[in-house]
Amino acid sequence: MSANIDKLHDDHSHTPTGIMRWITTTNHKDIGTMYLWFSLIMFFIGGLMALVIRAELFQPGLQLVVPGFFNQMTTMHALVMIFGAVMPAFVGLANWQIPIMIGAPDMALPRLNNWSFWILPFAFTMMLSTLFFESGGPAAGWTLYPPLSLQGGDSMPFVILSIHLLGLSSILGAINVIATILNMRAPGMTLMKMPIFVWTWLITAFLLIASMPVLAGAITMLLTDRFFGTSFFTASGGGDPVLFQHIFWFFGHPEVYILILPAFGIVSTIIPAFSRKKLFGYDSMVYATASIALLSFIVWAHHMFTVGMPLAGELFFMFTTMLIAVPTGVKVFNWVATMWRGSMTFETPMLFAIAFIVLFTVGGFSGLMLAMVPADFQYHDTYFVVAHFHYVLVPGAVFAIIAAVYYWLPKWTGKMYNESLGKLHFWLTTFFVNLTFFPMHFVGLAGMPRRIPDYAVQFADFNAIASVGAFGFGLSQLLFVYILYNALKQRVTAEDKCWEGAEGLEWTLSSPPPYHSFEKAPKID
Amino acid sequence: MKNFKNIYLSLTLFAVFMFSFSYMLVPLYDIFCEITGLNGKTNQEKVMNINENPTERFIRVKFTSTIANSAPFIFEPVDREMTVQIGKIYNTFYTLTNNSNSLKHATASPSVVPSEDAEYFKKIECFCFSQQEINGLETKELPLQFIIDDDLPSDTKTLILSYTMFNTTDQIGSNLEK
Repeated sequence: MSANIDKLHDDHSHTPTGIMRWITTTNHKDIGTMYLWFSLIMFFIGGLMALVIRAELFQPGLQLVVPGFFNQMTTMHALVMIFGAVMPAFVGLANWQIPIMIGAPDMALPRLNNWSFWILPFAFTMMLSTLFFESGGPAAGWTLYPPLSLQGGDSMPFVILSIHLLGLSSILGAINVIATILNMRAPGMTLMKMPIFVWTWLITAFLLIASMPVLAGAITMLLTDRFFGTSFFTASGGGDPVLFQHIFWFFGHPEVYILILPAFGIVSTIIPAFSRKKLFGYDSMVYATASIALLSFIVWAHHMFTVGMPLAGELFFMFTTMLIAVPTGVKVFNWVATMWRGSMTFETPMLFAIAFIVLFTVGGFSGLMLAMVPADFQYHDTYFVVAHFHYVLVPGAVFAIIAAVYYWLPKWTGKMYNESLGKLHFWLTTFFVNLTFFPMHFVGLAGMPRRIPDYAVQFADFNAIASVGAFGFGLSQLLFVYILYNALKQRVTAEDKCWEGAEGLEWTLSSPPPYHSFEKAPKID
Repeated sequence: MKNFKNIYLSLTLFAVFMFSFSYMLVPLYDIFCEITGLNGKTNQEKVMNINENPTERFIRVKFTSTIANSAPFIFEPVDREMTVQIGKIYNTFYTLTNNSNSLKHATASPSVVPSEDAEYFKKIECFCFSQQEINGLETKELPLQFIIDDDLPSDTKTLILSYTMFNTTDQIGSNLEK
C-alpha cells in the first residue's frame, strides 16, 4: 500500500514560493500551519468579544453596550471559539502530527485537505460580516434555539450557511483523518501500537462524521421553518420547539467531546515525555476514549432537564451522564499514575499538561453536579454552567492546545522557544484563568443567570474580579504571541529530539522536518 | 487504492445517513411523545366510534386559554370548569373575537395537564382540528365535544385543558396538513 503512495508522490522536493504556495498547497505541514495560524487569529477575535462581555459585566447596570449587541457578543464569542479557534487548532495539530506520527508521507486526501482549510476563512468572513448588518448579527445564543432564533434579523440565513460550510469542512477533514490512519500507517504499526494522540483523533473523527450532519439537519429545518413555510419547530403549525433542543443536543454533546478528546491525546503524549515513563495503561486509555465517545450519543438531554421530561427520561439521562465519569476517571487515574515515581521535569508543555489535569478535573466535577437532575433545576442557565464549561474548555481544551504548541514547536520550526518566558506565560495564564472563572461558580450558585448584560448588585464583587481576570488572561496571551515571534526569529536550530523523554516517530525526523517526510515508510518493530 | 475508495465511500454514506437521521428524529420524536405522554399532546384527529359508557366516577375538568405573541384576539372558554362524569360525552364552547379590522386566520394548539393523562382526554369535535377564519371585529363560538376515557387512572381528580391560539394569517397553507 505505502509503496503505491510513494509512486503517487512524484519527486518534487522543491518548495513553491509566494502566496500561491499557501493557496494551492496540498502539503500536510503547510495546511497544518495554516490551520494553527487561523485558529490563533480566531482565538483573539473571540477573545475580544469575551472582553466586551466582561467589560460590560464589570459593574451592574448598562455601561458600554446595548443589550442587543451584548447578546450578539455572547452568541458570536461561542461560535468563533468553538468552530473557529478550538476545532481548527485540533485539525491543524492532526494535520501536522498524524502523518509524522504514523510514518505516512502525507494525508490520504491532500487536495480535499486544502479545500477543508480554505472553506474556513470564507465561512467566517460571512459569519462575522453579519455583525455589520443593520439588524446585527445572530443574538439567540450559539445553540440557536427557536422560536427566538427564528425571530432574529437578516443575519440568520448567513449564519446558517456559514455553519453549513464549517460542518462540511469538519466532515471532509474527519474523512481524511480516518482514511489516513486506517490506510497509511507504517508497516508494523498495528492499531494498538499507534500513538495515543492518533487514537483520540481517530475516535474524534468518527464523532465528527456522526454528529456534524445532524447539526446541518437541525439548522436546515430552522431555515425552512423561517423561509419555506415548514413547521418543524413552529407551534402554530403543529411543530415543537423542544424538538429542536433534542436534535441540537444530539449533535451538541458529541461536539463537546470533539472539543476535548484530542486534548486528552495531547496530554497523554506530554505527561509520559516529561515523566520519562511509558504512559500508564495505554490499552485502558484507548478503551476509555472509545467508551466516552459511545456514551456521548445517549446523554444529550442532560442539557435540557428543565424543559419538562418524564421522570424515567430524566433518570435515564442523569445516570448515563454520571456513567461518563467512570472512563474519564480512568484517564485521570492513568495520568497521575504515569507521573507517579517518574523522573519529572517541569518544562512549559508539562506545566500546561499538569494544569490541564487539575483544572479539567475541577470542570469535570462541576459537570457531575450539573448531571444531577434535582440540583440542575437550581443550576440551569446560571453562571455555574458558564463556570463549568469554561473550566473544561479553557484550562481543558485551550491549555492542551497551548501545551501541544510548546511541545512540538521546536519540531515544526526547528526553533526553541524561550523557556523562562514560557513559564511566565504559564503562570500568568493559570492565575488569570482561575481568577476569571472560579468566581463564576459562586455567582452562579447564588442565582445569577447567564447571557444577561445586567445583574443584581449582590453579584457585583465577584463579577468585577472575573472581569479583571479576563483582561489579565487576554493580555497574557499577547505574551504567547511574543514568545512565538521571539522563537521564530532565532537563528539557533533545535535538536532533532529536543525533549529527552519524548517518544515517537516524529522525533526521528530532523527539526524542522523535511517538506516531504517518510517518503519511504519507516519500519516499526 | 480499492481499499481507499471503500473507506471514502462508506464514510461519505455514513455522513449522508446521519443527515437524514436528523430528519428521522422528527417522526421518532412524535412516536416518543405518544408513548410517554410527553407534552400533553391530545388526539389530533376526530375520535370515531366512541360509545358512551357512563361510570359512577366524576372528575373536574378545567379550561384555560392563552393567546400567542399578543395576537389581536380575545379567546376565552365559556365554561372555566366542569364536573364531568367519566365515559359521558360533553359539549362546551370557547369564544374567539377578532379585535382587528381585517380577516385573520387562527389556529389553536391544545395541551392537557397532567401530560401523562392526555391520552384519556378524547376530543370528538374540536376547533383545533382545522384552521379558523374570522372576519374583523367578529366573534365566533368554537365548539368542543369530548369524552373522558374510563381507563383514566383513579388517582387523577382534575384535568386541565389549555389552548394556545396562534395568529397564522401570514402562514396560510403552511400547516395543519399533519
